[in-house]
Amino acid sequence: MKNVITRFISTLSAVVMLGGLMSSCSSIKGGAAIPAVSTKTTSENGINISEEAELKFYMLGNAPRDLELIQEKVNDLAKKDLNCTVKFNYTSWSDTTTKYSLLLSSGQDIDLLYTADWMYYSQYAKKGAFQPLDEVVPKAAPDLWKFIPESYWNAVKVEGKIYTIPATWKEYTPGVIVYREDLRKKYKLPEIKDIVTFETYLEAIKKNEPTIQPTEELVADWGIGGPGFTAWLPLFDQTHTSNLGVAYGLYNDFRNPSRLINYWDSEEFVRDMKTLRRWQEKGFWSISALSANISQSDEFENGKVACIMTSNPVKYATILLKVRTVHPDWEVGYLSISEVSGYVEPVHPVHNGFSVPKSSRKAERAVAFYSRLVLDKTYNYLTQYGIEGTHYKISNEGYYEMIGDTEANGFPKEAMNGWAWRNPEIQLFDKSFDSVLEMFKKFESTQIVVGENLLGGFIEDYSAYQAERAALYQVQNQYLVPLMGGFVEDVEEGVRHFREKAKSAGLEKIQSEFGKQWQAYCKGIGK
Amino acid sequence: MTVKISNKLNRKESDLIYDFKKNKILLLMLAPVVVFFFINSYLPMVGIYYAFTKFDFNGGLFGSPFVGFDNFKFLFQSGTILKITVNTVLYNLAFIVIGNALQVFVAILLSEMSSRIFAKVSQSIMFLPYFVSYVIVGVLVYNLFNYESGFVNTMLQNFNMDPIDAYSTPGLWKFVLVALYIWKMLGYGTVIYLAAILGIGSEYYEAAKIDGANIFQQIRSITIPLLVPTFIMLFLFSLGSIMRGQFDLFYQVIGSNGLLFDATDIIDTFVFRSLKMNFDIGMGTAAGLYQSVFGFIIIITVNWLIKRNHEEYALF
Amino acid sequence: MKVREAKSTILFNILAYIIVGFITLLCLLPFWLIVSGSFTSNQSIILDGYRLFPQEFSLDAYKAIFKIPKGVIDAYSVTIFVTVAGTLSGLLLISMGGYVLQRKDFRSRNKFSFFVYFTTLFQGGLIPWYILLTNFLHLRDKIAVLILPSIMSPFLIILMKNFIKMSVPDEIIESAKIDGANDFRIYYSIVLNLSLPGLATIGLFLGLHYWNDWFMSMLFIDTPSKYSLQFFLYNLLNGAEFLRNLSQGAGVYDSVAIPTETTKLAMAVVAVGPIIFLYPFIQKYFVKGLTIGAVKG
Repeated sequence: MKNVITRFISTLSAVVMLGGLMSSCSSIKGGAAIPAVSTKTTSENGINISEEAELKFYMLGNAPRDLELIQEKVNDLAKKDLNCTVKFNYTSWSDTTTKYSLLLSSGQDIDLLYTADWMYYSQYAKKGAFQPLDEVVPKAAPDLWKFIPESYWNAVKVEGKIYTIPATWKEYTPGVIVYREDLRKKYKLPEIKDIVTFETYLEAIKKNEPTIQPTEELVADWGIGGPGFTAWLPLFDQTHTSNLGVAYGLYNDFRNPSRLINYWDSEEFVRDMKTLRRWQEKGFWSISALSANISQSDEFENGKVACIMTSNPVKYATILLKVRTVHPDWEVGYLSISEVSGYVEPVHPVHNGFSVPKSSRKAERAVAFYSRLVLDKTYNYLTQYGIEGTHYKISNEGYYEMIGDTEANGFPKEAMNGWAWRNPEIQLFDKSFDSVLEMFKKFESTQIVVGENLLGGFIEDYSAYQAERAALYQVQNQYLVPLMGGFVEDVEEGVRHFREKAKSAGLEKIQSEFGKQWQAYCKGIGK
Repeated sequence: MTVKISNKLNRKESDLIYDFKKNKILLLMLAPVVVFFFINSYLPMVGIYYAFTKFDFNGGLFGSPFVGFDNFKFLFQSGTILKITVNTVLYNLAFIVIGNALQVFVAILLSEMSSRIFAKVSQSIMFLPYFVSYVIVGVLVYNLFNYESGFVNTMLQNFNMDPIDAYSTPGLWKFVLVALYIWKMLGYGTVIYLAAILGIGSEYYEAAKIDGANIFQQIRSITIPLLVPTFIMLFLFSLGSIMRGQFDLFYQVIGSNGLLFDATDIIDTFVFRSLKMNFDIGMGTAAGLYQSVFGFIIIITVNWLIKRNHEEYALF
Repeated sequence: MKVREAKSTILFNILAYIIVGFITLLCLLPFWLIVSGSFTSNQSIILDGYRLFPQEFSLDAYKAIFKIPKGVIDAYSVTIFVTVAGTLSGLLLISMGGYVLQRKDFRSRNKFSFFVYFTTLFQGGLIPWYILLTNFLHLRDKIAVLILPSIMSPFLIILMKNFIKMSVPDEIIESAKIDGANDFRIYYSIVLNLSLPGLATIGLFLGLHYWNDWFMSMLFIDTPSKYSLQFFLYNLLNGAEFLRNLSQGAGVYDSVAIPTETTKLAMAVVAVGPIIFLYPFIQKYFVKGLTIGAVKG
């Protein structure tokens, strides 16, 4: 009895104490700079480093196993150079977007945060989540300021201000169709050059390989494009060179970017839907595809499907590596959509970067530290590849080589997910990445036009049509996706029905508002 | 059942003051509950205000521009709100009513079975589905129903019957979803009723036996009537959340399959799809508020009706 | 008369065995598929689908999970600690609350019941709650955050209230009061004893909640060694899931090996294992007639 009462009272007091904490905390929250003995007062760049600081660094994904080891080494360096230490934190890959948005909107004390277009960089910047860096970077990190080309700095500007430090490694992520080349040879099929030859290939697989499904296509989300079905993408991309994909039914051509063309209203749209219906009827993908939640690469690597229609160069390299070890008798071919359309865009500078969130009180130090991650080879190699001799070695040809396998190695290549501080001048590559670099080289050869990524810099303000936009995405999901998947028997009727629904969701209003914004944007950058 | 003691004679002072004077210990024992809900649930309710603002980081909660009911507009724009609201309510009613009926049924069987071992083992096994996450439920269901290699169609073909294209047959999923939910929660709910049955004094049964009632009569005239209050309590409790759906169940099993939406779309999946490319705090909060207000009106009405007739069954 | 009674009992039992047996089978089968799947090679799952017995036996899935034994062990310890501590303290607070709320002479009981129930209707949303727990209560990355916010729920309090109302007759409380026992003493020495099945149920539900929780770790825990078991497993899976769902344009990859279909299944087994073996120990509180007789006699 006595025991229970004591327990009861101690629990109660704990709860009451919590309540007390709550009311008093707002006053403590203000300043908590820890004074520290320091040897240096200023760094070479003239920023004040007399006070010791701990920087909070946030990355996406999961922490590598040997993170603490690396963190210690980095801190030894940073303590000496900048009188600061760094705590590397990870969001984990679970509900990352939710967590990212919570970290920002609750004003957590963070000094450096990863940003990307696919993590809504411009939207956050526009809403004021980050500090402007226009003055901080030239002061705290003049080397970095010079190192990153001016065009990059301009490209990441949101309403005239820089909010992120962009990565300079130039990569391409166009669509790539990955397929079983050995099967093509087995059935003596013509080389795959475009979607027509591709159809022959899929047909042959369907006919000759009863246990292999030609392809596995799924429902996908295309950012501004809304929901769609993967099989449609290569079909559209090989004949169009749009900066937008299709957004709200509109696309453009990179040669005259400000002119928007209505795809959903065109005859071409009906034709494409009919093609997709034909493919579906031929049994290229599962009849249950709309509810499937399956890893395409898993199925490909295990021989369930013969191709993946929406892959990209990096994914291709990963698959290639896997197939070579598990099924050395297979051959894997690829068709890059850009080679068919003759046009490719690199990723936009906002694709990878680092921002200083609004809550940080150590912007200068954070930027100075980040500059070292990019430019200083010691910092860079440590945080990208780990400890030389323990985690990796550099081969005679200059390739990165992992020591042990991913299970034994506590810090595989780029395990910190440091995509943003890749430095093209000192970057190391794995031998298997050659296939990607080869592809990139092809893009930069003469046959293909390397365009400019316009969409990345476009900051859509959908507040005027946010309700319509949400409604339109619903309509797309309910009526367009089944059309694209070829699940609507009467295509003409299905198209008519979709157009009608889209119209009542407010498509016209969206198109005109969006069109105005896009044209103003194009005008603003002189296109 | 005891007749309720009426305090209505001396209601001069308010209940709370009365309890402060006479029931100090009781109040103290209740204090952790009150403090907990005050901090954990009531303080964050200021966030409901987000539903009426266009959030930006400079303004925060109270400084962002006030936009009235703009954030609610998206719910009504696509014109499906009525349908999905009806879907949500009907699904929940099916879950609650069929689910509870089956749980009562199984609990009675388990409690009266002659072999304790068998009852115990099967009760444990009935708990297994509760542990199976909806992600895996979705995978299993897909393996059951997918057209090409699903278990159902393989069986049908063995019997020379036509395969069914389940993933474009909306009507089927009404039954599948209800069955899945009931299957998953059966063990959990059964425990509640089992515990309630054990709370029934054995003297009732002794008396019934002396009167010569057989086992079916005992169940009908003792067990079931005495489980009614628990059933009503659970029913009332669920009513308040009748506008909230089992998001994970619907999302993992149906996915983004537009062909099935007419039969399977509920408010939660609708809102999720509308907002996943928006990360808009205001619109998300607005949708939640819509669900809350509806649930609130329903529960207040029903509880009031019940209180008028049977005060002891009322939730509050 | 005796014969008739026996006949009906036999009939009842026949029906009961058939029905319960059938339902048990329905509940067992999917789980059996999961267990069998978890011991199958990934390739076989993808090509052959789920089978009652592995087509191609393999321990790869378990190897992937236990690749870093430290991670699993840490996660188990966190979850066991959180489950035990949370369940015990929650049970105390909930049973006290439930007891007070069903006392007929506690006049504001309906007001307080409403106060509790209201929180299931209206919620402030994730962000203000997140701000409260991190910025004001400073619970971020603390084990306490895995316990405190889930220590009670309206459902469990009202369920407890109902159980006590059913199993503790008002007359007993009245007579104890006349004997001079104070309210806490009545709770401690009478109510707790009389409502053991109810307590066992609530304890079970609380325990299950803590055991199954991944959400709190996801939101509030930064240090991987403080992850709860479910989150640890869930997170293994999610990296693959998230990267797969990113559009082809993101071009981002994670260098850490990606778990596969079978890993998903093995995780389910790993997460359920221990708690399902604990369940029979709780079951002893569900034996009919145990409690009532003991106190009244």
